[in-house]
Amino acid sequence: MKKEEMREISGNAQKDGAALKALLPAQDILCFHFADGAGRNAVCVFADALTDKDLLAEQVLRPFRAYAGGAQAEEVAAHLLSPEVRVQTSFQKLAEEVLAGNPVLLWDGGDAGIAAGTKKVPLRAVAEPPTDVAIKGPREGFVEDVKTNTALVRRRLKTGELRIEMLTVGRRTATAVALCWLEGTCRADIVERVKKKLAAVDIDGVPDSSYLVRFLADRPRSLIKQVGTTEKPDIFCAKLCEGRAGILTDGSPIALTLPYLLVEDFQSGEDYFVPAYRATFTRLLRLFALLVAIYLPAFYVAAQIFKLQLLPIRLLLTIAGSVRDIPLSPSLEMLLVLLVLEVLNEASIRMPKYVGMALSVVGALVLGETAVSAGFVSTPAIIIIAFSGIGLYAVPNLIEETSVLRLLMLLVAGSLGTYGIVLLSALVTVALTTTENYGVPLTAPFAPWIARDLKDSLIKSHLLSLEMRPAVLKSPNKRRLK
Amino acid sequence: MTLRPRQILFFLAAVAPVGKLVLLPAQLAGIAGNDLWMPALAHLLFQAALIFCVLLLARRERTVLSLIRACAGGGCAASFAVLYALFLLFCAFLPIVEQKVMVRSIFYDTIPAHLVFAPFFLFSAYLACRPLPALGRIWDILTPVSVVCLIGLFLLSAGSCDFGALAPAGAAGKAGFFAGTAAAFSRFSDAAFLLPLVGRFRYERGFAAKGVLCYLAGGGVLLLFLAVFYGVFGEIAPLQSLAFARVGAFFPARGVVGRIDYLFAFGLAFVMAFYAVLPVHGAVGLVCEAFGERKLLAPLLSAGVNAALFAAVYLLNFYTVTVVSLFSGTLFWVFPVFGALVPLLLALLLGRRRDRGGRRAE
Amino acid sequence: MSKFLKRLPAKLWMIVCAAITLAFFANDFGLVDLQETALVLAAGIDRDGEEFSLTAQIAVPKGTDRTTGGTSSVEIEGRGATIPECLSDIYARTGWVPKLVFCDLLVLGETATRGDVFDCLDYFLRNEYIPDACLLAACAGSAKELISSASAIDDTSALALLNLFSEAAQKSGQVVPCTLREFAIGYFGESRSGYMPYVRAQAQEGSEQGAGGQGAAQNAEQGQQAQKVYSARETALFSGGALTGVLTSEETFAFSLLLEKVYAGAVTADDKTYVILKNKGGAELVKGGVPGLALRVECKVQIAGEHKAAPPDELAAGELSEEEEVRLSQTLEEHIRSLWQACSEADCDLFFFRRSLRRASRELFAKWKELPLSELDVRVHARAKSLR
Repeated sequence: MKKEEMREISGNAQKDGAALKALLPAQDILCFHFADGAGRNAVCVFADALTDKDLLAEQVLRPFRAYAGGAQAEEVAAHLLSPEVRVQTSFQKLAEEVLAGNPVLLWDGGDAGIAAGTKKVPLRAVAEPPTDVAIKGPREGFVEDVKTNTALVRRRLKTGELRIEMLTVGRRTATAVALCWLEGTCRADIVERVKKKLAAVDIDGVPDSSYLVRFLADRPRSLIKQVGTTEKPDIFCAKLCEGRAGILTDGSPIALTLPYLLVEDFQSGEDYFVPAYRATFTRLLRLFALLVAIYLPAFYVAAQIFKLQLLPIRLLLTIAGSVRDIPLSPSLEMLLVLLVLEVLNEASIRMPKYVGMALSVVGALVLGETAVSAGFVSTPAIIIIAFSGIGLYAVPNLIEETSVLRLLMLLVAGSLGTYGIVLLSALVTVALTTTENYGVPLTAPFAPWIARDLKDSLIKSHLLSLEMRPAVLKSPNKRRLK
Repeated sequence: MTLRPRQILFFLAAVAPVGKLVLLPAQLAGIAGNDLWMPALAHLLFQAALIFCVLLLARRERTVLSLIRACAGGGCAASFAVLYALFLLFCAFLPIVEQKVMVRSIFYDTIPAHLVFAPFFLFSAYLACRPLPALGRIWDILTPVSVVCLIGLFLLSAGSCDFGALAPAGAAGKAGFFAGTAAAFSRFSDAAFLLPLVGRFRYERGFAAKGVLCYLAGGGVLLLFLAVFYGVFGEIAPLQSLAFARVGAFFPARGVVGRIDYLFAFGLAFVMAFYAVLPVHGAVGLVCEAFGERKLLAPLLSAGVNAALFAAVYLLNFYTVTVVSLFSGTLFWVFPVFGALVPLLLALLLGRRRDRGGRRAE
Repeated sequence: MSKFLKRLPAKLWMIVCAAITLAFFANDFGLVDLQETALVLAAGIDRDGEEFSLTAQIAVPKGTDRTTGGTSSVEIEGRGATIPECLSDIYARTGWVPKLVFCDLLVLGETATRGDVFDCLDYFLRNEYIPDACLLAACAGSAKELISSASAIDDTSALALLNLFSEAAQKSGQVVPCTLREFAIGYFGESRSGYMPYVRAQAQEGSEQGAGGQGAAQNAEQGQQAQKVYSARETALFSGGALTGVLTSEETFAFSLLLEKVYAGAVTADDKTYVILKNKGGAELVKGGVPGLALRVECKVQIAGEHKAAPPDELAAGELSEEEEVRLSQTLEEHIRSLWQACSEADCDLFFFRRSLRRASRELFAKWKELPLSELDVRVHARAKSLR
């Protein structure tokens, strides 16, 4: 620990201000020297861009200049107009406050420093998240500020049972993390385990909630997703109401929920605002799209190389006509088209919008026309990959996992054929069914089979049938509809 | 972590019958002709009785090894574990060979290299060292797969099936029945497979009866499949070695939609892959329990056992017919001796609850 | 040690991935992909003494630039002592691996049907990659000529022939298709009998060239070839695997009626054509004394056309008079008798009498299994009723 951190507040504003500045030597940390109503020297240390100077002047400096009372910190704090005032005695704590955007006040004769909550953070407005657009239902999305996000949650859950515990994670970033749960609905052991895991995080920085995912998962190195994510407060609150714990991370609009079930990603917020039959159809459609996305390229390759009978003869002859002059083997052709799609996808996401249009034109022309007419790839291969690509986005929260799985399926299909696909599917099934997070099996309610929970799985029953919370979460408060 | 009783029922009803659809139907048709269902029925009834005994043993809610250990000491339990594990591996061999035949035939249009089956052993090695709940949850997944695929195959084969081919009952005579029964011993070891699972699930009141009912329900589906199979192929049934991949091939829309029956056949092959690994899993589990070490021993043992099975299967690559006739003919007695006598004896000797004074069994 | 074991799964996983990737790029398990495959659509088999000749009609895919419909094909002949040898011959001569997974039609030439057809068909039954659902047909003359002929209705003769055996054609009662499975069941069963459509090709008047495609181009090189139309209204009868008789088109129709396959099929009697709208029929075993067969047909019919003009009210009703019903019933009975006559002459147990006997009773079967078909007590009953 540095010498300055060890020092105690001396009661000399000049010295104390200098000590604090020594801890924070950056040029954007400013010291403002002035005198109070009794003529005592005072210094205000604050981070230039993070502090709302108008608020600082109005709520802290103006009342302190007029103040001529005792020098005790409690007395001073009582005269300030800021509603958020903290008395800190250690330089380390004072430095943290300054870095968080809260100005620190030191004065002659003072026994402590005072931090005032006049932080000013540049914020994005609450808007609909681009990854989870709803036609019906709420359009609010989380933003990067944890306080705004907790407010969005609190606005929806006006109950004393909602607990929000603020934690700090990251040695250097000191990222604020809000752990939210509904007392009496979420299992206490889940909350305790999350707290323990967060407390055990020892990392330089947490720039985004995705960093925490690895620390919260039971199998951190697994390819399988183990923590739920959402950008929408309504979904976040619904999950809290089911008995999950939620984590909001400062600097990230993505909220995490635990424990996670695979089936969650086949559900969308909108499912609860449309009739049950429609929601069921949409969920099954998502599953179908995902299966098509993963298996279609693989089966296409396997059918061409290993098992022609998978295709009807007329279709096979059409395909045979298309691939007749293609120089690549079916598997390499498919791999090439898949890689091109991934590259285009990656580029179109990262590119500025005005270049994106040009990229789309190039992509469409190169892929759709030129490559086919040049005889590099065949038309069916492009159709298959296009269909697969579209299917993948039917379940956007699983894109990372499913795109890897699609590639693996393609590799085994090209090397072992249909049997490879069956074996890899079996392996994935084993891996999925054996994955548990916080004692909750990932593949519930299908494996283990929980008949009651099927009502809101791939099937969506009528709202009035969903009387109980998911049994798999073992919530202490089982009934949600009375 | 343990199994749930429901998962055992799912296994008995939906997974166990699927493991018998590869070579057995054609083999039985070759031996017993139109009476192919009779030996199967005899085995189903016999196995149902054995399963009843094994499930009664599960009332003690202790594993077989711990029961033996309590009764006859650790050495005896360890010896039993090793011997019974060897028997389970013996049971596993034929289904794996069947898998190999199936893979080479239904997954490819031309005869592939023998090596294409090698990845099965990687899968087997992986699954065999997984904890028991993995198996249970997989059975939860396999049950709907198996039901859907069987219904699909039944529907596709309905149009070309002539149940009249099964008449007259008893045409094969006693000789056909007994020969068929002897040959089928190698495929009916379900009670033996359940033995390592005893004590790994909570026994509920009436569970043994439920288990028997589920097994018989699954057996009913097996008998129906055998009937459909013979109804479709009649006199040429003995030539159709991969029954489940053949019965659905005659639906009228085949020319338009392609061989969609293969999707159902692949689904069943998926289920069979797990069924074939079950005895290997049981063997690994037993030895690990006997020597009190799972975390380290299970992966090593699983790898070793699968390497040995791999070597054996590939050494006998060109002797498939010999292997099948060896297991179904010369060595058929091994199955009833270990697969029936051992569970029966254990149930008789260890199955009684000692504490009838109201205290729950340990 | 424990550190090694901890990292072992990851290492193994990487090795497996590497092996799969290697196999993916090497991609050689002795397998043949689509581009190296000859997709055999149909095969014709002839016999030349001890040698077989197999003519495979191979689909030639058209490129994507082609906008014309249909499928082009070439016919390649292979010869050998066995069918596999014929296929090897084709492979050796073309470099294409003939795949029979899509072979939906096997045509047996006259020479092949003189002896036991299972001399050549057993290969298709043995081979697990060939579906037993492929259709069989016998033909007048050489199967090679039939397969190689230029069809007037399709670029590919196999597809034109398969049209003859379609579901719709079956319902018309003009053809009774038979799959390899059905034929084999009959052959290996107690009856040792079977049937298959008997195909004849007739030159289409005024045509001299095939409809197009590579096959037709090949034919053009060999000289102008007349386009052919095919007929499968006759049915070949087999006993002990050899062709022993051929049913006429009327007998084939009667056979269709007995199989309950006719729907909207037309039959002509006394210058009137009737359409059959409901068909019940079957051959039942009659026990007691010398066993026999009861061949029964019942159908609901309507007048479809007459030789002379009819008044509008008759046209609208299309009903049969009682006299017409009786006459049509008699005509159908005659066809069925003629059918049975043809079967007994050919010693073809077309209605699987012996099989029915075995299914009915082991004792009866043991007693009567050698009974010649001609000595069977056959009762024929046909009844046509007007749709009212």
